[in-house]
Amino acid sequence: MIIDALKYLAYVLVFPGFLFCFLTGLLLCGIDRKLVARMQKRVGPPILQPFYDFFKLCGKETIVPAAANRTVFLIAPLVGLAGLVVLQLFIPVFSFSAFSNVADVIVILYLLLIPALSIIIGGASTGSPYAGVGLSREMVTVLSCELPLVLVLLAVGKKVGAATGTGLCFSLTEIVRYQMANGSLLWRLSMIPAAVAFLLVIPGETGSHPFDAAEAETEICEGMLAEYSGAPLGVYKLSHAVKLLTMTSLFVMLFLGGIGGRLEALVYALGLTGGAAGALVMLLSVLVLFLLCVLLTAVAISLVHAVTARLKIEQIFKYYWTVVAALALLSLALAWYGL
Amino acid sequence: MFKKLIEESTGKSPWLFHINAGSCNGCDIELVSVLTPRYDAERLGFKLAGSPRHADIVVVTGPITAQSLPRVLRSIEQVPEPRCIVTMGSCPQSGNVFRGSYSICGPLSKYVHVDVDVAGCTPKPEAVIDGLALATKILQEKRRAMK
Amino acid sequence: MDFPFVKEAISQLFSKPSCAMYPAVESIAAPRYRGRIAFDPTKCINCGMCERVCCGGAITHTVEKTEEGDKITRSFDLGCCTFCAHCMDFCSTKAIQLTQDYHMIATKEEDLIVSGTFIKKPPVKKAVPPKPAAPAAAAAAPVGAAGPGGPQAEAPAPAAAPKPREDGKPVQDPNKCVYCTICAKKCPAGALTVDRAAKTWTLDEDACVACGTCAGVCPKKAIIM
Repeated sequence: MIIDALKYLAYVLVFPGFLFCFLTGLLLCGIDRKLVARMQKRVGPPILQPFYDFFKLCGKETIVPAAANRTVFLIAPLVGLAGLVVLQLFIPVFSFSAFSNVADVIVILYLLLIPALSIIIGGASTGSPYAGVGLSREMVTVLSCELPLVLVLLAVGKKVGAATGTGLCFSLTEIVRYQMANGSLLWRLSMIPAAVAFLLVIPGETGSHPFDAAEAETEICEGMLAEYSGAPLGVYKLSHAVKLLTMTSLFVMLFLGGIGGRLEALVYALGLTGGAAGALVMLLSVLVLFLLCVLLTAVAISLVHAVTARLKIEQIFKYYWTVVAALALLSLALAWYGL
Repeated sequence: MFKKLIEESTGKSPWLFHINAGSCNGCDIELVSVLTPRYDAERLGFKLAGSPRHADIVVVTGPITAQSLPRVLRSIEQVPEPRCIVTMGSCPQSGNVFRGSYSICGPLSKYVHVDVDVAGCTPKPEAVIDGLALATKILQEKRRAMK
Repeated sequence: MDFPFVKEAISQLFSKPSCAMYPAVESIAAPRYRGRIAFDPTKCINCGMCERVCCGGAITHTVEKTEEGDKITRSFDLGCCTFCAHCMDFCSTKAIQLTQDYHMIATKEEDLIVSGTFIKKPPVKKAVPPKPAAPAAAAAAPVGAAGPGGPQAEAPAPAAAPKPREDGKPVQDPNKCVYCTICAKKCPAGALTVDRAAKTWTLDEDACVACGTCAGVCPKKAIIM
């Protein structure tokens, strides 16, 4: 009992939980900034720059605006970060999953809303007009991303469900297990539009270029964050970084889960058995997951950031509900007809 | 150890907030050119923040017109401690060619303590980088003096 | 949708960045860059032209009376300067130069002031007959060796200021003239010849058009029309 409790505590605080999110999230953010800089012919900040930013913000004075609700203002960022850390617990690392559930895709869908919601609540509590504009835009962005995201998850669920004979599969663990046995979903014809749609959802969901109308620093003073300073701002920046990790690792698990099977086969081919093999598989899984996350960040966020300009909010909405939703719908239709 | 970490980080990630107090736009352009690929201040950790609450270093350009004075002071007050104020160009230091005009309230040092002056009309981007580097050092010392 | 910069971005990822790595690599300003002012007090003749042409009003001077003469401190406030180089262009003795040095960073306002001090000897009294030896002896002590020693050589020596001529042509007041040559430079007809070394001011009567430009530009108001 106590061992179990300790195990779960370790899950929450160390491995798929807080510490892992903190380190890899900020590292991903640093790599993203470096890549964008290099694509723009600049040298760019050091890869550890987000860590410096975070610790510096921890050392700054926290100003609570006079018009703000103090409790909500200070707690909202923590709620957002906690939501993301919990979300990360539900995303398996290939064969390893901290919390397995029959319908964790639905939970993930709900939990993905919490960071956006926390930022909206926090921004609204400041009473700043910039935050008002920012939060209305953030709501529209979340709404725009939600439809394609749900359609992509449905398509994947239908595909795996049809293959395993359960109708619709809403267990991410199940999806990954199926891929480990039968190869990654990305190489199936019907799933390619869904994967592309998900790649396009990543920048919108993380609020990076060109879908960052909600946090446009040049027009509305970073929107909801306008009144935040010091440590709460640092927590928001951290949440943003963790979201990069969450979205990219979700992509890996949804479409590239088959790599986990290859890894296991590789380790067992080396003739290892027992605990050593398990540890090695785990280590390799984390490493490969991180590398894939970096690759996805480079393609879906850095490259898009470097070559596009910020879209208007109605353009974001239109784009997601037409182009991206159509791609996801196409995938769903193909999966429905068993392609 | 945590305090040391914060101190180190303060010197490595100074965020700028730029206030145009009636500037002719020359200094504004040079400040932005510091962030372009040619000079790329981001490699030293500098970043242009959108809100004064996020900033560490406030860069003021322009001769502090009567219209802008209350806004400048209010923006500077909103910057959380430790903060550092840098005047860029001759205008905020003295009024430059606008000195003596009925609509000029400068110099800025009459109202707030200015940490670093970067002279020039406009300063070269290299001089701006020098001035910001000096401001970062002052920032680090201020952070050390806190608590 | 069209993304014209995708190829550019990817190719840049694998090529050298175009940054001038400034603090690590020293950068030199362009050849005629107008930076920090260098003032040579030994050349200054205190004509005051620089102060009159300065747009920002950055140039000031203070006068302190001493036994050797007026001790003049001329200071240039770089925190007020527009670096237009008017002072350099107008300085007849090239005492002011704008250098390529752009490092003008200060934490105190005093750090931005460039100044120089020199001693200007009083003009030799008009009653006293010219003594060429006197300025030579005095020249050794003060920094302002090039400062005018007043009219010595073939000074017309009128006791009072000369009277204006009837034909409207200019007359020089040798008590005030510092031989800065601005009048000669500005004369549209080229009628004036001023020799700084010999301290002579000569007017070509035939060429002079009596326009009054020389009297207008004279910083010392030493030309009477």
